[in-house]
Amino acid sequence: MNEIIEKLLEAVEFGKIDQKSPYPPQLRGMDGSHELTQQALAAGVDPQRILEDALIPAMGNVGKKFAENKIFVPQMLMSAKAMGASMVQLKPFFASGAIKSKGTFIIGTVKGDLHDIGKNLVAMMVEGGGWTIVDLGVDVGSERFIEALKSNPGAVVGLSALLTTTMVNMGDIVAGIKACDPATKVLIGGAPVNADFCRSIGADFYAPDPQNAVEYLNKLAS
Amino acid sequence: MKQHNIRLHPLGKELVVNDQTPLIDLLHEFGVEFPCGGRGTCGKCQVSLLKGKITVSEIHRRKLDHLHLPSNVRLACMSLCTESITLQVEQYDHLILADETNFEFMPERGFGVAVDLGTTTLVTQLVELNSARILAVETMLNPQVKYGADLISRIQAGLDGHSTEMTLLIRSAVGNMIRLMMEGAKQIPDKVILVGNTVMQMIFSGCDLTPLSCYPFQLENPGTKTFTASELDWDFPDGTKIEFYPSIGSFVGSDILAGIAATGLHRKEQYTALIDLGTNGEIVLGNRDHIICASTAAGPAFEGANLSMGMRAVTGAISSLRHDGKTIQSSVIGNTKPRGICGSALIDAAAILLEMGLIGDFGEIQSGENSILIDDPVRLTQKDIYEFLLAKAAIATGVTILAKNLGIETSGISEIYIAGGFGNYINLKHLLSTGMVETTGDKIHKMGNTALIGAKMFLFGKGELADEILGKTSHINLEAFPDFQDIYISKMILG
Repeated sequence: MNEIIEKLLEAVEFGKIDQKSPYPPQLRGMDGSHELTQQALAAGVDPQRILEDALIPAMGNVGKKFAENKIFVPQMLMSAKAMGASMVQLKPFFASGAIKSKGTFIIGTVKGDLHDIGKNLVAMMVEGGGWTIVDLGVDVGSERFIEALKSNPGAVVGLSALLTTTMVNMGDIVAGIKACDPATKVLIGGAPVNADFCRSIGADFYAPDPQNAVEYLNKLAS
Repeated sequence: MKQHNIRLHPLGKELVVNDQTPLIDLLHEFGVEFPCGGRGTCGKCQVSLLKGKITVSEIHRRKLDHLHLPSNVRLACMSLCTESITLQVEQYDHLILADETNFEFMPERGFGVAVDLGTTTLVTQLVELNSARILAVETMLNPQVKYGADLISRIQAGLDGHSTEMTLLIRSAVGNMIRLMMEGAKQIPDKVILVGNTVMQMIFSGCDLTPLSCYPFQLENPGTKTFTASELDWDFPDGTKIEFYPSIGSFVGSDILAGIAATGLHRKEQYTALIDLGTNGEIVLGNRDHIICASTAAGPAFEGANLSMGMRAVTGAISSLRHDGKTIQSSVIGNTKPRGICGSALIDAAAILLEMGLIGDFGEIQSGENSILIDDPVRLTQKDIYEFLLAKAAIATGVTILAKNLGIETSGISEIYIAGGFGNYINLKHLLSTGMVETTGDKIHKMGNTALIGAKMFLFGKGELADEILGKTSHINLEAFPDFQDIYISKMILG
C-alpha cells in the first residue's frame, strides 16, 4: 500500500499523467497518476491519505524546485496535470466530506489584465496543497471578488497582475474587499509586484512564487 | 541656483548642471541604460563614483546592499547631483541599423524624409525622390529610454505625468536629426513620413496613453496623424507635409505596416511571415488576400532588460557566439572586454549550450550550478535561460496561433522574414535549433530594418500602398486564443 503512495508521489512530482504519456522520459511505460490513484482507491487506501501523503508532498516538492529555479513552467504544468488526473478521482470524497479541504482560495487576474498563466500556476499549486479553488479568471474587478466571498465566507483571496499599469487596480480591489470584511486575508503576486507595494495597498501578503503562496495559506489554516 | 560640475571619465566630458539634477537626466545620453525606467528595480544603471559624494537614501542603500556592489557604486536612477563629482562611465557606441536596400518606385520630384521611430532607436533618411537615392542618414537612441526599455514602462511614465515631456523630447530629437540631414545635403524635404509602434505614435502625437495601459488596449483613433513643421517646433517651411502613419491595432503600429510593404507579402500568393524582433516583438502572417498580425512581449529579454548581465547591442556587448565542441568563442562589439550579452548572442548561447549538452530541453543547467560562464566575467544564470525560454516561446506561439487563425500549418508558410534592431546579427541556424522559429533553413531570411525600408516606400505616391495593406490587415490578440496557455508552455521547451 505504501508502495502505491510512493509511486503516486513520484508520478505527480515528475509529471507522469498516465501510462501512455511519453513524459517524463525516465518513467516511460510506467503507470501514471491516473492508474496509481485508481489502484490506491481499489486497494482501499483512505482518500485523505492519498491527498496528504502523495499529492500534497509531491506538489510541495514541485513548488520548492520551482522557487529554487531547478524546474520551470513546463515541468510544473506537467506535475499539475498529473495532480489533476488524481484529483478528479478524489472529487467525490471532497463532496461527501471523506476528505477535508484546508479552506477555499478565491483567485483572479485583476481588472484590465488578461495574463493568466501565472495565476493558473498558483491556483494549481494551491489546489495541490489541499485547498479548494474558486478561479474567477481574468479582468476581474472588486465586485466579482466580493460576490465570490459572499458565496464562500472565510475564503482567502489571491490577486494577480503582470503589468505595472494594471497592478494599480489591486489597490481598489483590496480596499473593496476590506471594506466588506476587514478580516478577509488578501495575498498578491505577479512580476511587477513586491512587498513594498503590498504594504502600500494594505494587502496581507506578497507571494514571490507559488510555493510562498501555499506556505502562507497553510500557516493561515493551521 | 547652485551649480555643479559632473566629469565623465574616461569620456573626458564635463557637464554643468543645476543642484538636485537627477543623474538619469544626464547619463542616458552616454549609454547608461535604464531598463526599468528609474523605478530602482533592475539595478542596471550602476555608475562608479571616482571623486565627490552622492548621498544615498535609505531605499537606495537597501538596493545597493541587495546587489552586493562595491562601496563606490551608485544606481544612477536614484542619485541626485548635490556637489561636483567625477563618474566612471563605460566607453560607448551603439549599433543602429539603417538601410540601403533597393526597392521598386515611381520617380517623383522633390525630397522626402523617412523616419523609423523605434522604442529604443531612431533612424532618419533623406531620400531624393526621382532616384530613391539616400542623401543623408542620422541615427540616435530614443531619448525616452530613460523612462524604461519597454512599452509598458513608457505608458507608465505617461500615466505618471511625463507624457508632455516625452512628446517634446521625441519631437525635438527627430527635428534635430532632420535638420542635421538638411544641413548636410542642403535640401529641404517636401514630405516627412514617420512610422513606429502605437505607443510611439501616441507619444509623438501628444495623445493620451491611458487606453493602451490596460485591456482592451484599443485606441479611439489610430489613424494617420498630420502635422505642420511649426506645430512640432521644427525650423523648416510649413509647406512640408509631415505624417505619422496609421497603426494597425493595439500595440502593432505603422512600423509593421511598413514592414509588410518591405516584404511585399501583401502581393504574394503564398503565405509569408514577418517576425520583428524589436523591443516589442511583432509577428505578421498572410498573403495577397488577407494578413493578420499580433504583438508579443518578447522584446525585453532580447534587449537585455530582464537578464542579469543583459544589455543592448552597444560597445562591450557579446554579439555572437561560436563553439568548437569544447569551448565557446565570443565576438564583442567594439572588440573590447565583454561586459554583458545582447539579444543575438543570447539566442546563440541557448542553441550552443543545448548542442554542447550543458543545458537540457527545459533549459535546466546540467551541472546543477546556478549559472554558466560564457566569456569572463559574463555569465548566464538559470533564470536568464528561463527568460530566453519565455521570449522564444512567445515568438513561436505567435506564429503558431496566427497560422491556426488562417487555418494553415506553420509548415505551410513558404517564407519567413526576420527583421528588427539586432535582426542582422542573428544566426538563423540558431533560431531554428532553439525552436524559436519552426521552419527549415531554406525558408528563413534576414531582412534588416523593414520599418525603415517600408517608410521609404511610403514616400512615393499618395498613401495608396499603405491603404492597400491596411485594407487587408487585421490584428488579433494572442492571449484570447483558446489553447494559448498550452501552446505557449509547450513552446518553452528547447529544440
